[in-house]
Amino acid sequence: MSWNPIYCIFIATSTLITYSSGLLIEKETKHKQYDEERSVRLKKFWVFLNLLSNLGILFLFKYYNFFGTTLVEIFSFLHINTHIPSFDYILPVGISFYTFQALSYTIDVYRNDVKAQKNLGKYALFVSFFPQLLAGPIGKSKNMLHQFDEKHSFDYDRVKNGLILMLWGVIQKTVIADRLGELVNTVYKNPSNYQGFEIAIATLFYAFEIYCDFSAYSDIAIGAGEVLGFRLPKNFERPYFSKSIKEFWRRWHITLGAWFKDYLYIPLGGNRCSKLRYYYNILVVFFVCGLWHGAAINFIIWGAIHSIYQITGDMLKPVKKTMIKKLNINTKGFGLKLFQVMVTFALVDFAWIFFKAGTFTIAITLIRKMFYFNPWIFIDGSIFKLGLDQKDFSISILCVGVVLVVNMMQRTRNLRSELSKQNIVFRWSVYLTTVVIILIFGIYGPRFNPQQFIYLQF
Amino acid sequence: MVRKAMVKGSVFLVLLMSIIAILNSIFILKTVHRDKLIEGLYNQPSDAYDVVLMGSSHMNGGLDPNVLWHQYGITSFNYATGGQPIDVTYYLLKEVLEKHKNPIVVMDLYYLGSTDEYGEEGYVRYVLDNMNFSMNKLVAIINCTPLKDRIDYLFPIFEYHDRWKELTAKDFNYGSNANYAKGFEAGIEKYGKDDSSNISTTKTIDLPPKTMEYLVKIIDLSKKDGFKLIFTNTPYDYNSPGESSSWVKEPIEMFNKVAEIAKENNIPFINYCDKMSDIGFDFKEDMNNAGHVNIWGAVKVTMDMGKFLKENYSLVDHRTDNKYAQWNSDYVRSQAASLSVENKSS
Repeated sequence: MSWNPIYCIFIATSTLITYSSGLLIEKETKHKQYDEERSVRLKKFWVFLNLLSNLGILFLFKYYNFFGTTLVEIFSFLHINTHIPSFDYILPVGISFYTFQALSYTIDVYRNDVKAQKNLGKYALFVSFFPQLLAGPIGKSKNMLHQFDEKHSFDYDRVKNGLILMLWGVIQKTVIADRLGELVNTVYKNPSNYQGFEIAIATLFYAFEIYCDFSAYSDIAIGAGEVLGFRLPKNFERPYFSKSIKEFWRRWHITLGAWFKDYLYIPLGGNRCSKLRYYYNILVVFFVCGLWHGAAINFIIWGAIHSIYQITGDMLKPVKKTMIKKLNINTKGFGLKLFQVMVTFALVDFAWIFFKAGTFTIAITLIRKMFYFNPWIFIDGSIFKLGLDQKDFSISILCVGVVLVVNMMQRTRNLRSELSKQNIVFRWSVYLTTVVIILIFGIYGPRFNPQQFIYLQF
Repeated sequence: MVRKAMVKGSVFLVLLMSIIAILNSIFILKTVHRDKLIEGLYNQPSDAYDVVLMGSSHMNGGLDPNVLWHQYGITSFNYATGGQPIDVTYYLLKEVLEKHKNPIVVMDLYYLGSTDEYGEEGYVRYVLDNMNFSMNKLVAIINCTPLKDRIDYLFPIFEYHDRWKELTAKDFNYGSNANYAKGFEAGIEKYGKDDSSNISTTKTIDLPPKTMEYLVKIIDLSKKDGFKLIFTNTPYDYNSPGESSSWVKEPIEMFNKVAEIAKENNIPFINYCDKMSDIGFDFKEDMNNAGHVNIWGAVKVTMDMGKFLKENYSLVDHRTDNKYAQWNSDYVRSQAASLSVENKSS
């Protein structure tokens, strides 16, 4: 991951290519009455060229070395010695996010969902809109582009609401995610030193670390957008309260899921096809989704696990129905819902092991060593030697509780509008207390190593 | 609407800053240096001292205000702190002068030998963390600390917030200890070795650029504000900075240069490294270690400095003045404290 200013060239290239292809595609759309076949062909050509160049840059930085070494390994397995030169440049920050945002524009113009943006400055703003540039949410051109034509004026309540959301994001990042990360990193960096509940706790904490970390970035981005008068799309909707993996993907990294759905899953045929083709579509989407997160086998496995979850879930649907009927289970009862939420969470958390582990070997080591019964670590104090002492560990548990409670409250009400109904003493007490909590309990400052947002690496 | 936002935003910021100020004072490390600044400066009435003693640890343990009081009836306070770089001393002096107009300023110059751009963070914090917010503090932060750390000096909560785990009642109720020692603090060890730097030369070398800059600033300040300035250098082994790469290698030559500068500006410079035999200073017995005098050595240095002050400045002897009764009891307490430490160690 790099902040090298020279990498602005790549975002500028992406912007120029997608901007001009937008204009070219629209030109062909207007000309189609003269020679429809030719104009469709040309439009497809421009889209293809556009995809090729944008994904080409992304491939070069993100995937070239991975595919190169994989090919060399395959060839050496077949006893063929090959050499593929490596490409030693660090991944430009935000490339996966802005490339997808720029591509969405081209495809939307091709589909006639948006008009081509004539103003290069406005279009460049859309691609490089700073709150979301580094780690999303990935905006769709049909929802975002027109906002750059709107007049934005100062609105006290809107700015205040944006700042509140940003504040909540900062809490999630500095107080919760980075604190949980201390324990997670201790265990995941030295998996051979830990076992049983130590790994289980670290994996449980990671589920909340990655959620709070990414949700924090999204909230800060959405809040910053709101301050400026822009409406950025929602990226999370209480994902750990999902009752199935399918539902989880409608609530986790919503904008990426929507991107894949619109521009890959539906074009592949979605679920309006044969079962086999449907499963194949899921496999492809999750393979690409895994790969989008990083050029490493563990991300591909993580994606694959999620596709297997979904396919198995679909295949077991009749069994599930029969069981519910035979056991006379109340499908509207709290018990079943809680069970479904817990099973879904356990499955998602299991898959996170591959996401976090870094390599496949480490993931397998962690899983193998996790199945060891050592409950005494909670009594003899060993649990407090995993990077978080007793006080920090207690705060961590409290934080996870707060996240769950806030999530539950979000189910039925809009917390920001609820807060705005309260009197000023209460509201300001909440704001000031929040800042004080960040100041005191945040993991920041010269005594700590600053931790980047996890999704900046993608 | 913009006006509403600005008014509300300003009120909110004022509230927030007030809370941060309270948090800062709770979370800052409670060292004796904090006590020194709160009790010795901010909680004192104006113009409380005839003499102020400034510098680093050499001064902190070198001149004892209680001895100056008992022997000469001079009131003084020792504002020196361990590892205090000369640039920090300059700003602390400015802060002291806000409270006490025209005291005689006795300044130890050991830290002129530092070649570092900035002092060690822990030492610099002894002073800057404990200074009240003022223009002096702001300028001191800008000039005495690296850019990357400045925000943490301005808001010490950023540095110390993880102390939430170790806070005690002391952190919440700090600042009420009367400083009977008047800022003085010396060791009771006996070094037992001779001075290894017993050579003399008349050569001079230039001072490191930054310390030279601040020496000039201090001299200029004394001229501008009209206070009397005395430079001093308490006894130490010139070789004690050892192989430190951030210290001048020829301290004798440097102090020769300082003597020249002092003479040019009519400022007395008493270099006790050259006066040890004159004041009956026994290096083996009177040093705590190679760099610092012990309590017995401090008495000898203080006695000589007191004599110099008495002979050269018209200082009123306050010992018979009832308003200063507290000084007598502080002296007794300081001697009792020294004796008890001495007895414990023997």
